[in-house]
Amino acid sequence: MKLDLLHQPDSAIAKITMAPQEELVAEAGAMVAMSPYMNVSTTLRQGKGGGILGGLKRMVAGESLFLSVFRSGNSDAELFLAPKLMGDILPYQLKGTELVVQSTGYMASTPQVDIDLGFQGFKSLFSGESLFWLSMSGSGVVLLSAFGAIYEIDVAGEYVVDTGHIVAFEKTLDFSISKANPSWIGSFLGGEGLVCRFRGQGKVFCQTHNPGAFGQLVGSKLPPR
Amino acid sequence: MFLGTYAFLSILATRGDSVKSEIRYKPAFATLFITLKPGEKLVAEAGAMASMAGQLSMKTEFFGGLLPGLMKSFFGGESLFVNVFSNASQQPQELVLTQASIGDIVRIEINGNEMCFQPGAYIAHTPGVKVELQWAGFASWFAGEGLFKLKMGGKGVVFCGAYGGLSEVRVQDELIVDNGHLVAYEPKIRMNIKLSGGLIGSVTSGEGFVNRVSGRGKIYLQSRSVDGLVRFLRPKLRG
Repeated sequence: MKLDLLHQPDSAIAKITMAPQEELVAEAGAMVAMSPYMNVSTTLRQGKGGGILGGLKRMVAGESLFLSVFRSGNSDAELFLAPKLMGDILPYQLKGTELVVQSTGYMASTPQVDIDLGFQGFKSLFSGESLFWLSMSGSGVVLLSAFGAIYEIDVAGEYVVDTGHIVAFEKTLDFSISKANPSWIGSFLGGEGLVCRFRGQGKVFCQTHNPGAFGQLVGSKLPPR
Repeated sequence: MFLGTYAFLSILATRGDSVKSEIRYKPAFATLFITLKPGEKLVAEAGAMASMAGQLSMKTEFFGGLLPGLMKSFFGGESLFVNVFSNASQQPQELVLTQASIGDIVRIEINGNEMCFQPGAYIAHTPGVKVELQWAGFASWFAGEGLFKLKMGGKGVVFCGAYGGLSEVRVQDELIVDNGHLVAYEPKIRMNIKLSGGLIGSVTSGEGFVNRVSGRGKIYLQSRSVDGLVRFLRPKLRG
């Protein structure tokens, strides 16, 4: 499998050249073009955590994820994938470490990557971003997508990221969702609501722009549906 | 002599009020990467912080005090609150600021000169900058641009952003500008907002309000306007 990223960073698109009998998993709706003999099927991943509480949590978080599986079959095949929003794509190589991806930041992954819908507890609901996290493990490549450019921070110590700007982070980092401000009132009035506070050693991938903020900028001027 | 040089440098540092900044991912996704030296402060629009070092502290304040803050919010189209970032540690610390819209960001040095900003353009300023409200007139209010404009004076640095690219245009005498594309201007430039060509002509041409600016000075124009995007999207939402 060969990966080329075109039109970075503002309108990135991934061109994937697949050898026979290869497979790629992608977010439903990401396909732009593909070879005609490509075999496509859809799977639905459901979050782990059984029981009434687990089910309730999943409902509240809207946790389910449609994924398309592309199989090249008996010959070489080509596949173009792109996210919905303007922005960059970043390939991440999984090597034993786990990667936590914000659901909107996931675009595609190779078949040896295990995708788990992780739920980080009720605290993440209060951020208003309906944070829901995918936990990536195993080995292979994950393609991340972002609204805007992606910048990488090597955390050594403590680092704070607004919840609307997180694309993914390495599981070696300890993370807690907290208020950006010492006081609750200041935190909400200050517009920063909740932030993620990362501790330890590892990488955080941030997007330069916040899709929610842009949506509000434009959406507030549109008539109600 | 060494001490003398040090004293001189520290005077420069306090008087300069110039924050270290780098604007990356220009022009589509311009983002501000700021390095705050120990003891340094920066004031930013509510919600502008994308990420920051854990050692930085953030405090929410009214934009220039309660009453002026309310005025700026209601009449200047800016948010009522700002966040003050300060570095109480001993090392330089990184702060990443951005804007809601995609587009360019410029750094404007304020040193005796003044600059007025359209609603939404302001992102951040250093504490030496004085923020005032300038009367913009009823025509501006009708054009949806607020009764007052933010006016920045004093000494320091202001960062402002735009939807699309930012062009600095020098007005020599007179220039007609679509109001949705105007981002910032020097206050010595006079604004004269009008319907572009009578009531019916304005509606049908889609130009809406034009601004006949006159005088000598700098203005900043954005290459796209949010209103233009909204006008494009609105008919597509029906049905």
